[in-house]
Amino acid sequence: MLNPCEKCEEVLQPFLDRELSDAEHAEAEAHLDECSYCRKRYRFEERLRMYVRHAFAEEMSPDLKAKLSALRTPLV
Amino acid sequence: MELSDQVYRVARRLVSSREEAEDLVQETYARAFRSWRSYTPGTNLRAWLFRILTNLNIDRGRREQRAPATQPLEEGDYFLYNRLEAESGADDEERIVERLSQDGIVEALSAVPHDFRDVIVLVDIGDFTYQDAAQILDIPIGTVMSRLHRGRRILKQQLAEAAVGEEA
Repeated sequence: MLNPCEKCEEVLQPFLDRELSDAEHAEAEAHLDECSYCRKRYRFEERLRMYVRHAFAEEMSPDLKAKLSALRTPLV
Repeated sequence: MELSDQVYRVARRLVSSREEAEDLVQETYARAFRSWRSYTPGTNLRAWLFRILTNLNIDRGRREQRAPATQPLEEGDYFLYNRLEAESGADDEERIVERLSQDGIVEALSAVPHDFRDVIVLVDIGDFTYQDAAQILDIPIGTVMSRLHRGRRILKQQLAEAAVGEEA
């Protein structure tokens, strides 16, 4: 049997992906409300995801952009 | 963000160099033009276009790494935090996340095997739902979820190893 923090760790990914059922989500939230240990780790995970997005926010070269624009298509 | 920017951003993470990414984007658009008739109006245009992109990437044999079938991943989802906390002595998530560099994250993702990386790139960077990612990669939604879960674990393991390396 998992303790509440282990259980919370198990559902971290589906929680942040909003893939838990309402009941499971509510249970995890109730635990997070009272457990700063898990809360910190959840916040860290959220920030890590933001960092990942930010790290990949690389722009394409103006050259390629111009080529694609020249296509004049709804896909650009 | 314009669609072409999204296409480029995802392409850039699927291949290793900027040049390859530019080629891949141009090929994707060329292929999309040629097969425009296979697009059904009213269906998800983004998903259709990204499917062309990922298929071209596979066709061109850029998937040099094979996904390890059973790479052991014993640790849970808190382990990266725990590791960084133990090393830094800091006790709040803001300070701890600052220990990760942008370059380190880019490098860590490039070390994640393709099958897992493709899913992370589509969901976390391309903002696709699990359903769309499943359609684009032509795999069941359960596989999207398991690859995403495992891929994120591998990513965190890479980040943890990089952080330890810096300390040494």
